[in-house]
Amino acid sequence: MTYSVSFVLWLLGSACLAGFFGALLGVGGGIFIVPVMVLMFHLPIKIAVAASIVSVIATSNAGGSSYVDQRITNLKLGMFLEVSTTIGALSGSVLALYLKEWAIMLLFTALLLYMGSTAFLQRKLDDKRIAAGDYSNAKPDRLSAFLGLNGNYHDQAAQRTVDYVVTGAPVGSGICYLAGVASGLLGVGGGVVKVSAMNAHMNVPMKAAVGTSKLMIGVTAAVSSILFFLAGLIHFYVVAPVAMGTTIGATIGTMIMNRLHSVWLKWLLALLMFYLSYGMFARALGMRFHIHLPNLG
Amino acid sequence: MGTEKPVVQAGTNSNSEPIGNVADNVYADVYKVLLVGMVISTALFAIGVILALLHPEYVPLSAAWVRQQYHWHTFIHGLATANPGSFMLLATILLILTPVSRVVVSIYVFYVDHDRKYVVVTSIVFLVMVLTVILSRLGLK
Repeated sequence: MTYSVSFVLWLLGSACLAGFFGALLGVGGGIFIVPVMVLMFHLPIKIAVAASIVSVIATSNAGGSSYVDQRITNLKLGMFLEVSTTIGALSGSVLALYLKEWAIMLLFTALLLYMGSTAFLQRKLDDKRIAAGDYSNAKPDRLSAFLGLNGNYHDQAAQRTVDYVVTGAPVGSGICYLAGVASGLLGVGGGVVKVSAMNAHMNVPMKAAVGTSKLMIGVTAAVSSILFFLAGLIHFYVVAPVAMGTTIGATIGTMIMNRLHSVWLKWLLALLMFYLSYGMFARALGMRFHIHLPNLG
Repeated sequence: MGTEKPVVQAGTNSNSEPIGNVADNVYADVYKVLLVGMVISTALFAIGVILALLHPEYVPLSAAWVRQQYHWHTFIHGLATANPGSFMLLATILLILTPVSRVVVSIYVFYVDHDRKYVVVTSIVFLVMVLTVILSRLGLK
């Protein structure tokens, strides 16, 4: 590989875009960067995936710091859910020994489809509930009450402080465990599942879910990155422009996210989940039945 | 006439219980760790990229070459002689360690705040992270 200005600028630009959309949705953005590295620059897939995992840390640092500063992130909720996410990632590596990859992909296709449909069908619900103050009227479950998971943030689009009572901690924790398994086994899908789990099952407004997920994804990505680093797969010449671009994009994205109405964020989240579920389904079909669906990216 | 919704004060729920649960110092300390990690790693990446573009060289893509750069004297010599790879390597290490540091700092801050529950919660996260790395390395061997 010879380092050139065009190589650096293309990676920087793609990573910037990934970081921007990742900041809006609380996800890592690897899904945007890996195809650029593999298809455009013919980098080996392992190096591309390793670089994308490091970019997840970059977006989490940049986006997470901004959302923490804006007090959008729910720190206690994030810490609590990180327990199940990290355990999920650990058990994912054990499960990999017993489960076929295509079967796991089919399971996650179903999960992503379900969650994407929920996000799409409930896309206007957040704004209505925020206007009515409904997020503060829920009754917490025992675990949420014991851990004091409730939170609030100032919504710039709605121009009000939104208080919310967290419910469904066991269910949300279970789904985040699956998110950990997904990101550990498959390398994608952790962030979207976490955001959806918090928003759809834990009574957390979309923006608080995005801010909290943004902080959480860095932890699971850090563990994977350490392993890739020790194996010599993190090629820092590739990581450098990707990490810088992601940082820039995520920083810009965090300035905009709170100004958008939640309905647009949920539209984007649903689209991303449908896109990911198609990709996983296509790969599963190819692996198990050698049926090749059109590639969307 | 009809039932009216209760007026909810900002920062309390409908039972007038406070919402918003974490002391400001926890947010402030987590923010500082993330910000410092982000700024320093980005600056080091930028230095490395600029140096690499000023003196373009062929860089192997192999894992063996990457691991060679980890040797302590190669790394120190590289920093001293403005080798772009050494700067990027240092930036990568700092970037990866930032979320880990965030978890460790959180344990400390919750401890200072006498929040035992979250000292336990955050310590579990840290232990699982360490266990994952150890078990994976043992598995690789």
